[in-house]
Amino acid sequence: MHLQPDELIDLAEGTRAESSATHLAECAVCRLQLEELKATMSAAADVDVPEPSPLFWDHFSARVRQAVDAEGAPRRSFWTWPRVAIPAVSVATAVLAVAVTLNRGGSGNTPLPTVVPAPVALPVASVDLLADPQSAGDTALTLVAELSSDMDFETARDAGLAARGSAEHAVTHLTGSELRELQRLLQEELARSGA
Amino acid sequence: MASSLTWTLPGTWPPRTVTQPMRPAEPGLVDLDERALVEACLSGQSAAFDVIVERHRRSVYLLCYRFVSNHEDASDLSQDVFLRAYRGLRSFRGQSSLATWLYRIGVNVCLNRVSAKKPLSESIEDRQFVDEKAESAPDRLMKDERGARVRAAIAQLPRKQRATLVLRMYHEMSHQEIADVLGSSVGAVKANFFHALSNLKKMLGGEVL
Repeated sequence: MHLQPDELIDLAEGTRAESSATHLAECAVCRLQLEELKATMSAAADVDVPEPSPLFWDHFSARVRQAVDAEGAPRRSFWTWPRVAIPAVSVATAVLAVAVTLNRGGSGNTPLPTVVPAPVALPVASVDLLADPQSAGDTALTLVAELSSDMDFETARDAGLAARGSAEHAVTHLTGSELRELQRLLQEELARSGA
Repeated sequence: MASSLTWTLPGTWPPRTVTQPMRPAEPGLVDLDERALVEACLSGQSAAFDVIVERHRRSVYLLCYRFVSNHEDASDLSQDVFLRAYRGLRSFRGQSSLATWLYRIGVNVCLNRVSAKKPLSESIEDRQFVDEKAESAPDRLMKDERGARVRAAIAQLPRKQRATLVLRMYHEMSHQEIADVLGSSVGAVKANFFHALSNLKKMLGGEVL
């Protein structure tokens, strides 16, 4: 049984003494292979890399600096996103769960007195997205904002923007007491997540 | 005549890539260890990255040169290595040394490059940076020719064999470190090293051995 590649490498590198490999003394093939490995290592080791001029290094560092400056701050790692995303997802899930539960409660066996909420004409674009610097210059957003600036929730619903069964639909169809309960739960959740 | 004149137009110098002088590293940063430098970078002190570049630029350049065998490509690849390192700095966990992490990036960058482009060997005349004082001209010439043949043979090795040989022979990395860089086992690294040397021997024959 001849010596294995890893054994020959250990012997060629001197991390294992040749005297410990008893097979070597009686096998000319392995001895020759070991000698060839050593000779090849020696030939490869003798190949040097031309050292660049000392001036090159400053030039190189300046190039890297320029590229790094153009890059901006190091990007947030994929693994750090959960720190931001988990509380946000928790809040969204809580809102959805509360909305669905309360909506179902309203259609249960014991009918609750129906409180028809007064129509609230809230503009859909109550947050001025166009004032957001990240959105500035977005022509598509500008068009949508202009078209929807006079639109209230009823119109938005009729336009199919809040489909029946969606969270938006559920939230816009809550009774006064349900809305108060939702508000309380949201505040509780936000306080817990530290948002 | 006109074309030769354009070479001397002052507008072509200095090269466009040099746009700003290196700023001196802040004294406090120079003494920081690797982990602290990375933290400083992540907290917005970009000067800390200058220190990282200064500490590792030579070894990264030499690694790249071993793969591509010419100064221009080695320089470009080294820059790419540091840029990728900067982009991925948040993923550096400190489980390996910064040097090992940079080597890992370097090997990937180089292997992608050499598989996309056949490496160009620098001609002996182009090698203007070597200190030639120590050897006589004929000796230097012979050594250069021998070196060029060995480098050309290394360039023909399969990717993992080449990476293993370069990291082991020229960067004195342990088998375990190479395994970490290449994402393999110590046994696989030794086997790759063995096959790399055997193939090198076949390619070179008796000419340089």
